[in-house]
Amino acid sequence: MSNKTITMIRKELIDAARDKRSVMAGLYYAVGAPLLMCGMFFMLIGQLTSPEDLNININNPQGAPDLVKYLSSKGITHGKNEDQVEGEKVDTKDILLIISDDYASNMAKGISAEVTLVADASNEKLQKSIRRLEKRLQQYSAEMGSLRLIARGIDPRVMQPIKLNVEDQATPDSKAGMILGIATMTMIYAVFISGMNLAIDTSAGERERNSLALLLSHPVSTSQIVISKIVAVTLFGMIGLLLTLIVSKFAYSFVPWQELGFSVSVNSRFIGMMMLIGLPVAIMAACLQLFVSFLAKSFKEAQSYLTIVLMLPMMLAMAASYDIAPETLQWLPVSGQLQALIEFIKGRELPGMQLAISSLITLAISAALAFGMQKSLKSEKIVFGL
Amino acid sequence: MIQVSNLSKRIGDVQALNDLSFSALDGQITGLLGPNGAGKTTCLRTVFGLLKPDNGFAEIDGINIAKSPVAAKQQLGLFPDPFGLYERLTPREYISYFAELNGLSRSDAKHATSSVIEKLHLADIADRQCKGFSQGQRMKTALAQAIVHQPTNIVLDEPTRGLDVMSTRVLRDILRDLKNQGHCVLFSSHVMQEVAALCDQVIVMAEGRVVAVGSPDGLCQQTGKASLEDAFIQLIGTDEGIAA
Repeated sequence: MSNKTITMIRKELIDAARDKRSVMAGLYYAVGAPLLMCGMFFMLIGQLTSPEDLNININNPQGAPDLVKYLSSKGITHGKNEDQVEGEKVDTKDILLIISDDYASNMAKGISAEVTLVADASNEKLQKSIRRLEKRLQQYSAEMGSLRLIARGIDPRVMQPIKLNVEDQATPDSKAGMILGIATMTMIYAVFISGMNLAIDTSAGERERNSLALLLSHPVSTSQIVISKIVAVTLFGMIGLLLTLIVSKFAYSFVPWQELGFSVSVNSRFIGMMMLIGLPVAIMAACLQLFVSFLAKSFKEAQSYLTIVLMLPMMLAMAASYDIAPETLQWLPVSGQLQALIEFIKGRELPGMQLAISSLITLAISAALAFGMQKSLKSEKIVFGL
Repeated sequence: MIQVSNLSKRIGDVQALNDLSFSALDGQITGLLGPNGAGKTTCLRTVFGLLKPDNGFAEIDGINIAKSPVAAKQQLGLFPDPFGLYERLTPREYISYFAELNGLSRSDAKHATSSVIEKLHLADIADRQCKGFSQGQRMKTALAQAIVHQPTNIVLDEPTRGLDVMSTRVLRDILRDLKNQGHCVLFSSHVMQEVAALCDQVIVMAEGRVVAVGSPDGLCQQTGKASLEDAFIQLIGTDEGIAA
């Protein structure tokens, strides 16, 4: 790299470091994104691990004390629970279970005892609770049926012509695929967000402030200018990525992963791997954002273009984490690296070939964009906005 | 020396330059005088290779700008319009940045910057960020950038615009100094007094063409007018776009 290029990189970095907007853009994301992710994981864990007690109304509970006891042992209680502190507000679901007056006598006679479930089935929020109650009632009914058969000397298994055995092959880590995908995606997206403001400032901003024409009237080649800008923006992206990883390392250690059955541990090996794999993505992010910003006539125009353009890597990343069409996506930028990282975090072997090819494609796209930029800086239309 | 031969350039529907030829010699101040829209800025941008002429060429010290842009630009210093300052850099950083871009080593650039800061009396603002500078301070910073690497040719685009009397005087003194050191100074202007006070040679431009060339006195004699202003109006045939 020539002295002039180094001089320009140094100037770009000094200029950028003094630009509050550029620095804050990276910082906000680096601190904000991992914390938001943590908040999401906490919510998710809360929902997955402790099904809350379901409070319903039961009419005539004394008619079927055994059923009521069975339900409450499964966490479905009538009105107020004994464990609950007096005066605490109880969230009673709008579900009514009516036990018929002749329940006890019918049960004793060995004929069907009637229980009526009253609820609004169109209410989405009640669906889960209704299904849970139905399932428990059926289980209780089956249990009673078996007891009756045994009392009559019949093996209850005659009532089960098919015995279904389900073997779930999913390991805790593979179940975690989507969550891991989202977590990794927010990390790698840092290279796009952190360098974005600088990319706009140093291209569209530079022209808006009329310093681009001045720079071009000095004895530097357009490729030197383009390279220095790419290096500066890439560096910003990588610093943003590193910060995001460091914040994630601390934030994720507070998430009670054991309750999910898998863990996302951001250790130094992962950070190193992420930085290495993220580098081509950061270079491409820099090239893409600079290219688009150079085409825009003003800072504002560049901002609105970039918001749209940044949907593209976002979609690639989403597709990778949701496992949509993984066959082609594994060769593409962002999604390819992301899939490799997810494999790595799951503790599997890194798909070397796939990663190498997608990284090469990423770099090839970067080179094409850099070449386009270098050409565009020779165009009067671009430089003077004619 | 800056030599421009048969330059033609069309921008959109406007023939901005129309077979323009002139030369600006070393050790002289050459003024490019013309009404607004005469093609002065287009001409200077073509000299720097920022615009490609449809026809003709520009040479800096005999180097064709289109063929070897980097070598040709090495011989040029530009005082642009608008200034194009980096607001977050201090003048010292700004000046030495451009010195380094012109091939000076880091330490040489520092020395050159210090001496140009002294020369232009910039010391009091040299280490403050350019944001919020007055027009005069901006002018001095931009000028320092143009001359820090001691180019043989210095090109100034409308240098006195928006300057007060003191700043204008500083600028004039600097330009005369440069001339006496043997530099070639080329500036564009539409201000008569400026041109009359400074120039050894005046190139009168209108509609992208050279209308007349000569010293201020020579132009007056040629047209038989007493002042350069009257001579100018006589030459371009209208008084549109002229500042007295």
